[in-house]
Amino acid sequence: MTADAPRWPRVALTRAEVFIATVAVFGVILLPLSEVVLRRLFSTGIDGEATFAAHFTLLVGLVGAAIAARDGKLLALATGTLIPEGRWRTLAAVSAALVGALVSAILLVGGVGLVRNQVENGGVIAYGIPYWWFYLAFPIVFGLIAARLIWRAWPAWKGRLLMAAVVAAGAWFATRPDMFLDASTWPWLLLLVGAAALGMPIFALLGGAALIIYFSNGDNPIQAVIGALDQLKSSDLPAIPLFTIAGFLLAEGRSAERLLRFFRAFFGWMPGGTAVVTAVFCAFFTLFTGGSGVTILALGGLLLPALLADGYRERFSLGMLTAAGSLGLLFPPSLPLILYGIVAEVPIADLFIGGFLPGVLMLGALMGMGVREGIVSGRPRQRFAFGEAAASIWVAKWELLLPVVILGSLLLGATTVQSSALAALFAFIVQRFIHRSVTSLADLLVVMTKSIALVGGILIILSVARGFTDALIFADLPQQLAAWTTENVKSPWVFLLGLNVVLIVAGAIMDIFSAVIIVVPLIVPIAMHFGIDPVHLGVIFIANSELGYLTPPVGENLFVASYRFNKPILELARAMLPMYFILLIGVLLITYWPWLTTGVLAFFR
Amino acid sequence: MFRKASVRWVVVLALAASAAVSAQAPQVIRMGSVVPEASPWIAALKSMGQAWAAATAKRVAFRSMPPNPSETSVIQRMGTDGLEAGALSVVGLAEIDPAFNALAIPFFFESDAEFAHVLEKLTPMLTQRLAAKHYQLVLWGHGGWVQVFSKQPIRTMADLQKAKLFTSEGSPDTVRWYTSNGFHPVPLAIGEIPKQLKLPTGAIDATPAVAPLALAMQFYKDAKYMLDVRVAPLVAGVVMTESAWAKVSPEDRTSMLGAAKETQQKLFSQAPTLDASHIKEMQASGLQVIKLDGPAAAQFRAAAEKLGTTQRGSIIPADAYDAVLRERDAYRKTRK
Repeated sequence: MTADAPRWPRVALTRAEVFIATVAVFGVILLPLSEVVLRRLFSTGIDGEATFAAHFTLLVGLVGAAIAARDGKLLALATGTLIPEGRWRTLAAVSAALVGALVSAILLVGGVGLVRNQVENGGVIAYGIPYWWFYLAFPIVFGLIAARLIWRAWPAWKGRLLMAAVVAAGAWFATRPDMFLDASTWPWLLLLVGAAALGMPIFALLGGAALIIYFSNGDNPIQAVIGALDQLKSSDLPAIPLFTIAGFLLAEGRSAERLLRFFRAFFGWMPGGTAVVTAVFCAFFTLFTGGSGVTILALGGLLLPALLADGYRERFSLGMLTAAGSLGLLFPPSLPLILYGIVAEVPIADLFIGGFLPGVLMLGALMGMGVREGIVSGRPRQRFAFGEAAASIWVAKWELLLPVVILGSLLLGATTVQSSALAALFAFIVQRFIHRSVTSLADLLVVMTKSIALVGGILIILSVARGFTDALIFADLPQQLAAWTTENVKSPWVFLLGLNVVLIVAGAIMDIFSAVIIVVPLIVPIAMHFGIDPVHLGVIFIANSELGYLTPPVGENLFVASYRFNKPILELARAMLPMYFILLIGVLLITYWPWLTTGVLAFFR
Repeated sequence: MFRKASVRWVVVLALAASAAVSAQAPQVIRMGSVVPEASPWIAALKSMGQAWAAATAKRVAFRSMPPNPSETSVIQRMGTDGLEAGALSVVGLAEIDPAFNALAIPFFFESDAEFAHVLEKLTPMLTQRLAAKHYQLVLWGHGGWVQVFSKQPIRTMADLQKAKLFTSEGSPDTVRWYTSNGFHPVPLAIGEIPKQLKLPTGAIDATPAVAPLALAMQFYKDAKYMLDVRVAPLVAGVVMTESAWAKVSPEDRTSMLGAAKETQQKLFSQAPTLDASHIKEMQASGLQVIKLDGPAAAQFRAAAEKLGTTQRGSIIPADAYDAVLRERDAYRKTRK
């Protein structure tokens, strides 16, 4: 029996998903902007504006993940594709989907638990709208993802029903977490890693690992969903969908061509000009957005075509963009550096001064690679012509205005979310009314659907990663590590080496803000014990985290770039390897040559 | 027959084993909060946990969990058996029951002694309200006094009403209350405060904050005036879930509450000292404390008193408001 089910339910579901997500996206764009206007001009505002914006982001992320699951675009390791076509490949796909669906079904159980708790105890955001209306998205979306993984894995109904029965039985166990209390987690973790290697989505790997750790402590699956919820409603998160949509809208038209002409006119005379500009542009953008992945989302769609059209190898271009997306965090007003200062109780001005040379070193390393690529590839250079430079500015004026809009609004007092909302609205106005690339509602919905699926794929991983981090913390692993280090490590050099590894891993598995809050209080006392300057420690922390963003298999830049450029993670990791190596040298220099940080600082002190 | 007997034995052995395990395994109390681990409050609570273990012969084990992103998250985890206890500020406690807002009425209390007296009188009522929501109050905490830091000197209520005043996002009731009383509140995330105060065109030019926050975030360098009329004490409370509390024997509960009381006294006695030292440190780096003379302070308090009444029935349940007002005024009468 084949799987030709009637089409109308699927069409209706698809339309409902796109409708909900599109309404939510407009909510995320318009709420912060309306608040700014109302607050500044009329001393009034929208009740619960930020909370609504955060919960609309939650909807965008979750519904987007359901759409990505429908289209088979949930991010997975590419190792499954190494298995030869045929029976073994099918078996691998079915096994991976089965484990992935099981994790989703258990998260569904957790979502139901959260909703039940909130119906009873939860409050109201404003205008009588309770929180749990939004939280309903958790069980519905995890249920849809489980169903879609099964649906795509097996073409026949009999097989699908068999898989669904296995998943339902497994999910039943999730309602009895006591059964797993104090049980060994290793067999289950190995099962997850095996399934991930066979092609299970990465969100299921992280979400499943979180569930296993919670279960082994006798906790229920609701805790993993609360972790995901905390991440999805964090205050700066709406910037991710908003910058993504801005980037997608600009990419719809011929913005890349216009920007390329501008880059060529101004930097075509120097070797590797466009690549150098890419590094500087990305660093500049990241220091204002604070989030590494955001840079790739917002600029990747513009800069990759520009680099390719300018004759750079695809592999180099992908590597450059993936790596450059994490630069900039050492320059003021980097949010992670500010947060480090607060948590470690270090003067923030000292961190900005101390971070300057290391920041220049990391940026210079990538710029150097750009220059080298320009020389090695022998890409022809062109002479600078004033007329062409002026003309290119005029042609690309709207695209060039985007960073001005972002930076300008930030400097005028907008928050990151307000600034990203303005960027999205600006991009929409430019494409709809000036360039006329988006001429109808249908065009707009196509762009929205593409960007929402992309955002959903990213946010679902970020959210379950938070659940995973929380689970590690609840299991007391970071504290145990800190206690072990104090007990066993006697040399500062060994400590710093261990710190490099720990911070790169931390940067790879969690977002930098969580890493600062969780890891900094643990390492500061140990670093003091070894006589490491707290400003130097802060700079080491951020520099290592920048590298962590690029570290396979779950470094945020890798999977964000994988989505943005539609390339397997392993291919991106290979492309980025030379840049990774150069940045690693930079990180080691920053770590073991404290003068880079403290030298300039001593001058100012 | 043999099979039935063996099953019975297995069940008996399993029950005996589980009884033995439960007799030995301590009752673990995991406490969540948003407070950084390095803070003096967490240190005090950890030492209380050690006292609990000692007083109960290790039948109770206390674990302070690393900081949660929000108090809402702490409450959600307590409500779903992910945490057994939470250290919550008055904001979090008011999420459980809005009567706790009665402890945070702006410019309502004049001194530590007045506040401590009213808190003691209100504790039975608040404990009862918590119990109705399935929580047990373990101890009160004091995080110092909230003060107003501003870019321009504030001397009157009218000055304060003119200021673009930071307020935490996610509290629409508070924003509405501010607006209806002629203030200009700007709801933002706490992390935005330093940047917004630094920028000449920032969204805010004044913020209420406790001294340790102003010092840690360094925003007193931009908002370099501090009004010497204190807004409200930053009250906190450690609460336990009813189910976790029920698992502790009555004798152990008494011991735990005794140790908690000692910690509470320590927190209340150290709060004024910490406030004073933080303010002194900020003054050394340029903070200017705006002191009001007698009539000006009285005028400010009188204007504030009228404001406080507008919270009755909206932000604070009417009975809780009446109770806090009654107890405070009774205390003031005894001091005259």
